[in-house]
Amino acid sequence: MKIEERNSTHVYKQLRMFTKEELEAVESLCVHEQPPYCNAACPLKLDTKGLINAAAQGDFIKALQLYEKITPFPHILSAGCEAPCMSQCKLCSLGDGIRIREIERSAVKLREKPKGKGLLRFKKKKTAAIFGSGLFCAFLAGELWGKAYPVTVFCEEQDEKAFLSKGAEFMDEEGLSADTEALKAMDIDFRFGTELRAENIKKLREGFDMVCASKQCAQTAYPNCRSDEKLMYDRENDLVWGETEGVLAAAFGAKKAALTVDRLAQNLDPAKSRGQEGAVETELYTDTKGADKLTAVAVPEGGYTREQAMQEAGRCIQCRCEECIKGCAYLQHYKIYPKALTREIYNNVSIIMGDHMMNKPINACSLCGQCSVTCPNGYDMASVCKIARRNMVQTDKMPLAPHEFALLDMGFSNEEGFLSRPQPDFKQCKYVFFPGCQATAIAPETVRAAYEDLCRRLEGGVGLMLGCCGAICDWAGREEMYEGVKEFIDRELGKLGDPVIIAGCPTCKVRLSENENREVRGIWDVLLEIGLPEGAQALPRPAAMHDSCGARGDEQTQKAVRKIAEMLGCQLVETEYSGDRSPCCGYGGLTAYANSEVAKEMTDFCLSRSDAPYISYCMACRDRFARAGRQSRHILELVYGTDAGSPPDISEKRYNRLSLKNSMLRELWGEEVQELKLDFKLEFTPEAREMMDSRMILTEDVQQVMEQVAETGEAVLDEESGLLTGRARIGNVTFWVKFTEIQGGYLVRRAYSHRMNIVKRA
Amino acid sequence: MEDKNYYTVDPEGRLKCMKCGVPLIKGKAKFMYLDNGFPVELPVCPVCGFVYVPEELALGKVASVERALEDK
Repeated sequence: MKIEERNSTHVYKQLRMFTKEELEAVESLCVHEQPPYCNAACPLKLDTKGLINAAAQGDFIKALQLYEKITPFPHILSAGCEAPCMSQCKLCSLGDGIRIREIERSAVKLREKPKGKGLLRFKKKKTAAIFGSGLFCAFLAGELWGKAYPVTVFCEEQDEKAFLSKGAEFMDEEGLSADTEALKAMDIDFRFGTELRAENIKKLREGFDMVCASKQCAQTAYPNCRSDEKLMYDRENDLVWGETEGVLAAAFGAKKAALTVDRLAQNLDPAKSRGQEGAVETELYTDTKGADKLTAVAVPEGGYTREQAMQEAGRCIQCRCEECIKGCAYLQHYKIYPKALTREIYNNVSIIMGDHMMNKPINACSLCGQCSVTCPNGYDMASVCKIARRNMVQTDKMPLAPHEFALLDMGFSNEEGFLSRPQPDFKQCKYVFFPGCQATAIAPETVRAAYEDLCRRLEGGVGLMLGCCGAICDWAGREEMYEGVKEFIDRELGKLGDPVIIAGCPTCKVRLSENENREVRGIWDVLLEIGLPEGAQALPRPAAMHDSCGARGDEQTQKAVRKIAEMLGCQLVETEYSGDRSPCCGYGGLTAYANSEVAKEMTDFCLSRSDAPYISYCMACRDRFARAGRQSRHILELVYGTDAGSPPDISEKRYNRLSLKNSMLRELWGEEVQELKLDFKLEFTPEAREMMDSRMILTEDVQQVMEQVAETGEAVLDEESGLLTGRARIGNVTFWVKFTEIQGGYLVRRAYSHRMNIVKRA
Repeated sequence: MEDKNYYTVDPEGRLKCMKCGVPLIKGKAKFMYLDNGFPVELPVCPVCGFVYVPEELALGKVASVERALEDK
């Protein structure tokens, strides 16, 4: 099998991955960016979660900074705020909600400020006037000062404190004085003792660009005036004002009014481009499992002390949705949530020229679909990554390097390693056993035992098909190749009389079921019907069941395998992420080939669920767990009393497939099999074997290099080390082998490869 | 104008072509990948033209350039 490398990095093809609407529809399923419940309920958009987190850490400087972001007068607001956030706290449904307002009050009262001076502020040119007093006017004055407008306040009061206390009669002396200090520092032009009669207001407003007023002043000057509640604006009289009741409403009204002033100052329609104002509905999902501090810290007279505020804030569960991330080593590795990842992948696919930084993450997803189950809205990152891979293949932007080894391995399974035969003495069969490419590579003895057992106990003949279902090229995003494999398998099944397929692998079962005309059953279902064979054995100690990602959504398979384990006498340990929520072992989606680092993290995550030995029903899972050093058995090994032993290296996997095929052909079908023999002896040091496995170099590759050396005599001697080096270009890769000569052949000591082609130039 | 070389490996008389029985010399070669070419100087047999790519180069610079180009 030969796979063409992408032609050039200079081919600038582009194909849209999603329409704008499709992208938005996908992204909208992820609620990670949704505001927490307390924050959503606050019309002033306080970063409540951030404030509480800062308080919990004892960082009251940051807590106060966050609070001051939403109000110029923190003492008045925190003392009088109705705090709609508190009833929305997620903990309310379990016990006491967080006493948010008390924590805010503590942060304000503690007055911990950062050292250093504030930023130099430049005043804007347009001027604003405010007529009257009361909380709305006070907050508005502060908001406009915050926006750097030169503000003039006309009020009847005689000083700042009297101005600020209007409507804030609930304030204690200390708090009022503190906010008065803040007001005094604001560089606002106060015209105290102004007589606020109608003609006076009309006269005084002349010369100001924007004019604001309290409800009382507005109605005095313009008796029939009406204000728009959303904009706090009276268009007819070009006056910014509105009705508010309560501290929070005044603060919120002032924010809306300040935005209106801002728009008017720029000669823009105040009704447009206002963004999302006020409290919002949130679609956030938060798992409250594990929330255990459900009783609030009692509030003593005078409010929380620093320690009490920290303790109360420490109860906060910091609401966020990370359901998918919690179970997925891939998302944990890239520290990203699906919505942001999807956008980055979409942008990556849209790049015509330049670096595609997201290629690696696109190819590192195991396409296992776990997120579609763990996400409360069913976000399916696998389908996003798969669409991206297909897109990259179609636009000739998919590098071959991450997937070539796996694709060639699939080619091997469906060419040299392929076998399709009816049961001996049958022309056509009622069944065909399709164990899957990993089972034949990892546990050939088990495959043979299973086949012989099925032949013995099922009537109507059981054919055997050793090959790959096509999952490999489907995962690689190569649709055409996948169609080719499906057609090939179809043809071969046709030759056997279109039998019922008995799949030995859940992923094969899914793939082979894509053809609706076929009946596909798992071997586990068949075994439940016909009973377990003799020689079946349990594991002597409790074992964790690992569900294959191929069986996600297939409850029947999950149950059947557990039932078999039970019949065997196994004591099963269930883990948190099992059944449909099971994570991938690292093999799925070709992660193991494209990104061994992420694949290892996936395996480690799987194994972190339990210290017990693992039982699985996918041979790839069995292999990866065993490679990571865990006792790991496939359910069929237990059923047939076989033990595939230590995991084979990449070359042994091919050898196992080929020798299973050849031995079965010889012994079951009585066919002559020609086995290729080398003309020379080829030996390997253990270091060379290990090196080849980690560098994905097959024994076959080394053999081809040595054949070329033997044939052409081309080799280089390093006179210092005494090692000879030969090379051969095989497909898209140049392989190099360092060796010494031994009696009748070669001893391989090192091997390496590169994809670049090297040519001599003049 | 002198040719640009991205990388130079001098055999310093350590390497010998077994086919031609002569020492490799520093010679001109070119790496080609995905339609991109990189002129280099590597140990080359002056007789048969065999170009030698040392292991450190293959696993180091060559591998990193391959990865960079694959993401173009």
